[in-house]
Amino acid sequence: MKFCGYPRADGTVGARNYVAIMPTTGCVNAVCYHIEKLIRGTKALPHHQGCLHPSQDTEQVTRTLINLGKNPNVAAVLLVGLGCEMVLAEQVLEGIRESGKPVELVVVHQIGGMLDTINNGAKIAAEMVLEASAIQREEVGLDKLCFGTKCGSSDTTSGLSSNLVVGEVCRIMTENGGKFIQGEVCDIMGGEYALKKLCVAEEHGERIVDFVRDLYLRGIAVGADVRGSQMTVGNVAGGLTTLVEKALGANAKGADVPIQTSVRYAEIPEGPGRHIMDIPGHGFENLVGLAAGGAIIHLFTTGRGAPNGNPLLPTIKVCGNAKTNVTMREHIDVDVSSIIEETETVSEAGQRLYEYAIDVANGKMTRAEILNFDGTMEILIKGPVI
Amino acid sequence: MKLAKIVHEEDNVATALEDIYAGEQVKSRLKDNELILMCNHDVPFGHKIAIAEIRSGDKIVKYGHAIGSATQDIEKGDWVHVHNVRDDYKVLDKEGKPLPGQDG
Repeated sequence: MKFCGYPRADGTVGARNYVAIMPTTGCVNAVCYHIEKLIRGTKALPHHQGCLHPSQDTEQVTRTLINLGKNPNVAAVLLVGLGCEMVLAEQVLEGIRESGKPVELVVVHQIGGMLDTINNGAKIAAEMVLEASAIQREEVGLDKLCFGTKCGSSDTTSGLSSNLVVGEVCRIMTENGGKFIQGEVCDIMGGEYALKKLCVAEEHGERIVDFVRDLYLRGIAVGADVRGSQMTVGNVAGGLTTLVEKALGANAKGADVPIQTSVRYAEIPEGPGRHIMDIPGHGFENLVGLAAGGAIIHLFTTGRGAPNGNPLLPTIKVCGNAKTNVTMREHIDVDVSSIIEETETVSEAGQRLYEYAIDVANGKMTRAEILNFDGTMEILIKGPVI
Repeated sequence: MKLAKIVHEEDNVATALEDIYAGEQVKSRLKDNELILMCNHDVPFGHKIAIAEIRSGDKIVKYGHAIGSATQDIEKGDWVHVHNVRDDYKVLDKEGKPLPGQDG
């Protein structure tokens, strides 16, 4: 298997080659959508943050935008600002510029309205696409691959098949020097001490437990015990007995691969191997955190059939439920119901999924991409909306 | 013969891969060994069946980890779920004490 991707100035390699149209505040999403429609090869990255946050969240949104811009699937970035938001557009601009890729900024208040900003921005974006389209894929090592993962619309088959298969991919791809990022702190809850044992360094194990404590205490602050909301009536009806059982099934997406580091939301983990990020289970914020962390492909396990992708991350849907693989066929990329039927081993299916993911990294489209079911995203904030 | 899946060699439960009814034989594979046992209860798809005797207070082990404790003696072939398992999990502080708000 060979990975042929788009080389970037900072040494990373992309699976896609987008010109990102990135708002620094949700107030200018409309401008970004218009530019995306006008100029082929661009991707709008709409979100609803950027203003009226506590300072910690302003810092988190800023970090997320910078690191999304640095994502290897991005060739160049056009930033769109309003001009009065808390996130400082110039700071985002300088942050992305560190990666060596082209980045420019248009500001609606400075230009004077949406229409002229679209005009100016679209002209810049068109030049960026012209340059980006000349970048050729090059063969590089499999160590340049970085995968993210999560599970969504899960059912009993997830913990018994698709999650185990992704765990096998984690094992194979990290042995080949690749990077693998997972999180979903709500699903780690109950399995945090099992993950802690897998940490190479004690400090990171304790930090993963802290991620769980932080989530629990944020729930308590609004009067909710999130342990209870994590175990749903549907989970129990499906056969899950305890929160620990559910967590172990979710954590299986990393098998027993050693954990190198823990990182904050949207931070870029350093070095190869398996890493844990402080990200929620909710898909929109989750995939953005992983994309900002440098993932170029996402392995999304599902039982009932979660259709969403992410604008920057080709998202491979992996499903072990034979019925869903029929009823939701147009949304499922890889069928692993063979594990439930015991006609294929986890290691065989893991190798098959790994090879499929490399095909996608090389340009094969995911079903979420083909269906344009990848336009919704969000940035995590932890404090109150002011 | 119905199928149930053992995820890890230390597990004392297997998960039903199809609906299993009381009195039916169940086959589970663990590496190269096949385990065949009689199911004592109706166990729906996705639910667990004991593959060993489990005494009251013993840990229920799946994925090689304790997922809870038995609240009563469980025989080999019994259905294992919320009626005979207690969830021991609490979010703990750095000293190992439960954080507030977890009375249940």
